[in-house]
Amino acid sequence: MTRITRREALTGTAAAGLVTMAGFSFWPGQSAAQDQELTVEDVLFDPANPVMGNKDGDVTIVEFFDYQCPYCKANHPILKDVVENDGNVRLVMKDWPIFGAPSILAAQLALGASSLGQYKTASDALMETEGRLSKDLIHDTLALADLDVSALEKAYEDSREKWDGLMARNSRQATLLGLQGTPAFIIGKTIYPGSMSDEALRDAIAKARA
Amino acid sequence: MIHSQNLKRFALSSLITACLAVISMFLSGAPTQAQLLLTERAAPMQVADAFKLEVRDRDDGTRELTWEIAKGYYLYRDYLAAETDAGTKVPLVSPSGIPKDDPTFGSVEVYYDLVQVDLAAAEGPVTLTYQGCQEDGICYPPVTRTLPALAASAQALASIPADKQPIETEAAKDQGSQLTLSQDGGLIEGLRQRGGVLFVLTGFFAFGLLLAFTPCMFPMYPILAGLLSGQGQKLTARRGITLSSVYVLAMASAFGLLGVAAAWSGQNLQIVLQSPVAIYVAAAVFVILALSMFGLFEIQLPAAWTRRISTVGTSSGGTLGGAAALGFSSALIMGPCVTAPLAGALLYIAGTGDVALGAAALFALGLGQGVPLLVVGALGARALPRAGGWMQGFKLAFGFIFLGMSIWLIGRVSAGPEILALWSALLIGGGIFAGAMDLLPVNAGPVRRLIKTAGVFSLLAGAIMLFGAALGGDDPMRPLDRLRASAGSGEGPEKSVNFVTVVSRQSLEAALSNGAAKPSLIYVTADWCVTCRVIEREVWADASVQAALSQMTVIAADVSDFGPEGQAMLDQLGAVGPPTMIFLNSDGKEPPNTRIVGDTTVKAVLSSTGML
Repeated sequence: MTRITRREALTGTAAAGLVTMAGFSFWPGQSAAQDQELTVEDVLFDPANPVMGNKDGDVTIVEFFDYQCPYCKANHPILKDVVENDGNVRLVMKDWPIFGAPSILAAQLALGASSLGQYKTASDALMETEGRLSKDLIHDTLALADLDVSALEKAYEDSREKWDGLMARNSRQATLLGLQGTPAFIIGKTIYPGSMSDEALRDAIAKARA
Repeated sequence: MIHSQNLKRFALSSLITACLAVISMFLSGAPTQAQLLLTERAAPMQVADAFKLEVRDRDDGTRELTWEIAKGYYLYRDYLAAETDAGTKVPLVSPSGIPKDDPTFGSVEVYYDLVQVDLAAAEGPVTLTYQGCQEDGICYPPVTRTLPALAASAQALASIPADKQPIETEAAKDQGSQLTLSQDGGLIEGLRQRGGVLFVLTGFFAFGLLLAFTPCMFPMYPILAGLLSGQGQKLTARRGITLSSVYVLAMASAFGLLGVAAAWSGQNLQIVLQSPVAIYVAAAVFVILALSMFGLFEIQLPAAWTRRISTVGTSSGGTLGGAAALGFSSALIMGPCVTAPLAGALLYIAGTGDVALGAAALFALGLGQGVPLLVVGALGARALPRAGGWMQGFKLAFGFIFLGMSIWLIGRVSAGPEILALWSALLIGGGIFAGAMDLLPVNAGPVRRLIKTAGVFSLLAGAIMLFGAALGGDDPMRPLDRLRASAGSGEGPEKSVNFVTVVSRQSLEAALSNGAAKPSLIYVTADWCVTCRVIEREVWADASVQAALSQMTVIAADVSDFGPEGQAMLDQLGAVGPPTMIFLNSDGKEPPNTRIVGDTTVKAVLSSTGML
């Protein structure tokens, strides 16, 4: 759980393990030579990104994740429980594929499913897989969840620019925010790197509301 | 809601809060307090601290990689990878890891604490990738680290059989470089794949035959002719063939040895021989040859050998030795043209360490180039009338040709009015010796009149050159250029391609980055490169070439002062020497089959630019 100040967000050197009420601010990455400002809206309210939980919730949880990251997957049921029990949390799962080609494929198909209104089914099915993924495993997993893989592929291809743009933005945001890896949570205005227990999640939500 | 807030105020307030928080934490001994507030695990470290990599280079070009892994962190065995810039996987020998067999994660092998991995030798820089996680915390994106090229790896590779390794010298690209060279297999490899070793040798013999008729070889003819005519009455057809055979064999051996030397030293010997010192020495040799033609002394060069050899047996050994020496040195010094087959063979040797095949191919190339010389040698004796007073005139003529050779050689290293004045002196002297100022008897025959015509012409040309030299001109073909320029008449300075000249790797990189978005042409040239002058006159002066190049970044990589900087530049470009043209598309990549080595035409250049 880390407080992100301007300097830290810029340099990516987040002070380790400090709990604070301070928010994080999205500032333009001068050192990264980015012209555009990174705003809170960009990170929490990217219009292309599917939203789960309560779409009108008063707190947003953003998770930067990868479908092959073991702690993302282990953490996922806990996260879903907390979001469901709270009832007033927006959950934004941001694809940040860091484990190579299978991760990218999984993200593409899940985003394709979003065009067909099947994002949650696809995403949940992929998050429930064990260990490393392969093309076959991804296809089988989605088929077992009653999804038409070729339809997902087509849906992704049809809006390829939108989804590729989204993933590129996610990756850029991760860099600008100095995220070290997956999972990384942003709850309210605070960045929490690494997996979180249900207690930590509830605390973070409470602090975001305070 | 955050998004409804004024962002600036939000940022400012959070900054102040943050500062206050930091201050308050320092006052209250924050670190310990913070530790207590954490759950079971600490916040993730920076990835470089979590996985500390140490690289030890071994003498044989392999490397030992050691990761010191922080407590509570692990590295994945499966995500360890290394590849060259060309994208070829470099083998890694990694110990088996600890199976992490968690029902949630599946079975993966991971390393804790410390792991040592062996990395095989590879040509050029190697990009290493690794990935790991904090236990129960976070997984890091892959870390890539580029290990710089090892000098030892090239030698280590040379000991690996050629067929076991890819030929990638041409694709050698250093860290941070903005150009990617084409990975064409190369001339030798292409031929070998088609028809084996014999095919390679035949192919190079044929290349040599074709090259024999290029300007590069022209100096060889008068040298051999001079050698033959120096024989005087002794010249028979058999002796002519023997002498020219020895000359050609020596020449071919010189090419072969060039390959061996290139493999041993890792340097292009031919370029070393183009150094000013080597050229002055060669020029001096030609002056001595010329003086002996003038009859100042008999060829004394091989005299010591003659004496020794004649005690053993034949009396002609000395001249044969002379022919060998002349053939050997003229191949290296008189053949400054870097041609595609020569470059291909040298690159092949450098890339594979296959000295035998590379040298054999070059030897075949030399033999091919020598075939017309053999014909000259055989016919020369028969065609020349037997003995007589004409021989004296012939020897004189070759004396002047040798002097001209000497001036031409010096002109390669230092151009200027002095060289033009030397040419003038040569032509005037030649004219006088040809009898330009002598009165012809009324009954003089047509041959004598022709000779006098040539003499007068030479005299006049020499006079004009002297005038040009006095004006500061330096081009023997255009001695009065200065006059035209100062008169301001004509079409003014001739249009040509505006090259950015670079002399080192750094300046080459800088020039490339200036025009990053455009395709570019890198033209390797040098003052002493004769073929380059031809290219400048015939190719760069062409309007269609200028039009094609107008949208490109054109860089002249000048290796006139050849030294380590020039070599580094050539290495980076995978080039052997001038003239070489490397075409890069707007991504900085060299498309296959676009490179031009050696003499070329407008058509070939346009075809290469068309492929960008």
